[in-house]
Amino acid sequence: MVVLISFDIDGTLEVGDPPGVLTMDMVRLVRDKGFLIGSCSDRTLSGQRAIWAAHDIEVDFVVSKHMLPDVKAQFEADVYLHIGDREDLDRQYALAAGFDFLWPDEAVAHPHFQPEA
Amino acid sequence: MTTPTAPDAMYRNDEGLGIWEHRGKVAAVGVGHGPTSRRWDGRPETCVGAITIQALRKAIADAGVAPEQIDGLVVVPVTTTGAFWEEGKPLPMDVIESFNQTDDPLDGVAKLSAEWLLANMPELTNVQFTMYGPGCMSNALNVAAQAVGDGLTHTCLVVKSWHNFEGRYYQSGANVEDTLPGTAAITRLWGGPASYGTALQFAEYCRKYGKTHEMMAPFMENSRRNGLMFPEGYWAQHRPEELGREDYLAARWIAKPANLFDNDIPIMMSGAYLFSTAERAADMKQKPVYILNHASSNARPRSLTPTLDEVEAETARTARKIYEGAGITADDLSFENMYDGFSLFHQFHLEGLGYRGIKFGEALDFYQTDISIEGPNPVSPSGGNVGSGRSRVWMHTDCIQQLQGRAGARQVTGVEPEVAVSGGPMPLGGNFTVWSASPD
Repeated sequence: MVVLISFDIDGTLEVGDPPGVLTMDMVRLVRDKGFLIGSCSDRTLSGQRAIWAAHDIEVDFVVSKHMLPDVKAQFEADVYLHIGDREDLDRQYALAAGFDFLWPDEAVAHPHFQPEA
Repeated sequence: MTTPTAPDAMYRNDEGLGIWEHRGKVAAVGVGHGPTSRRWDGRPETCVGAITIQALRKAIADAGVAPEQIDGLVVVPVTTTGAFWEEGKPLPMDVIESFNQTDDPLDGVAKLSAEWLLANMPELTNVQFTMYGPGCMSNALNVAAQAVGDGLTHTCLVVKSWHNFEGRYYQSGANVEDTLPGTAAITRLWGGPASYGTALQFAEYCRKYGKTHEMMAPFMENSRRNGLMFPEGYWAQHRPEELGREDYLAARWIAKPANLFDNDIPIMMSGAYLFSTAERAADMKQKPVYILNHASSNARPRSLTPTLDEVEAETARTARKIYEGAGITADDLSFENMYDGFSLFHQFHLEGLGYRGIKFGEALDFYQTDISIEGPNPVSPSGGNVGSGRSRVWMHTDCIQQLQGRAGARQVTGVEPEVAVSGGPMPLGGNFTVWSASPD
């Protein structure tokens, strides 16, 4: 099964401003599971790329906040999931784009982010 | 002592006033900035009052003036346009009680009075004159310049600060009430983002002159580049990120054709200056920057929001006032630092000035040429709010520092920094200052 996860940054990832509860190690975990991953943020595209490069994490996409439909059009996946901390700019955008949605604290407890037994 | 708001007579609102009577006799000397942050973290030492005190003390030290020499203080009392202390939210008593208080418990937390500042800056023992310049530093600068020129104060601090709280900007205060008072009940009828009026004007501008939003990209990139060389600014201090063409054009619309980056990022900041008479300034620590004129725009639109025609008429009228009172022409400007928050109206100011001979409808083409600090036609060398965050202050600091020759990496090199203009905020409704390296 192909799983695609889109991460908001600020308020979601530990490197965000404000910091979120999702650590970069958690991102690496799903990366190593073979998930398609990337970020969807109001940060500049170059700024998003710089964050991933600084943490040596290879991502499949970086897009602006309104571009989840483009991600869905670009990648074939069985599950499309966006994780973010804002009702208006994350949850509503995600659902409108046909993504599943998790708040950061929900994501931390989700099986996606648990090591495989 | 109760601080009054500056009377209308202190502003130069009209054409035909002639050369400003205090031209070259008032000077800015000291500059001070408090640290920036995205939002207040709730600590006493980072509240808006605390960072304001830091900015003021830096300006005093920068000018090399003993605090007891200071006899004037001009303050912008409002420290936000969109972040308000939620009604019913418990007051931060630990913060409030960390300072000497006034009757208003949110003084120093969500607003600033001259009385609060004086109560918490015991070294200012000789301040006899205090006055409020409403809204912006641009306004307060006009007040301070006129006050020093009129002899109401001879060594005057002028300060503007901004706070920002948790939550979304503009989604608190009156905007969350069921009703709005006065004119706002009409002008905010549609609940649009703050930039929607500017976006409407820009859309009409593009239609009228055959331009596109994409043509803003070089201006945005240049502004952020300049901002990243502004060590006092938010982006330079916290997120040294460039704003390239791809970055800018990929941003979501806030009020199309105004996108996310056309709207400035709200921050905590404080900026302060020390003004004095030209005579006293000559003996201070920094090179004086002389004020040749101040001018104001007090035009009102005929309807809910200004039309492009009104914008163009008023920016041209403002420029005539600026030049007339300073005794200069557009050709005398070494560079310009007009306001940019929202970025989509910077070109209105630029065209009104006739900077480098450009006419209405030509600024976006001008942006496609070399507008860098290294070139012959610097545009917004401060980087403005695009480059350093929402303050309406950077443009003034930059003018002073450029003319003093201490703008650091941001120093203009393609022109000799001799005469500059800064001001804003809006094309209809703003205050402007003409700065000069010499009093003549």
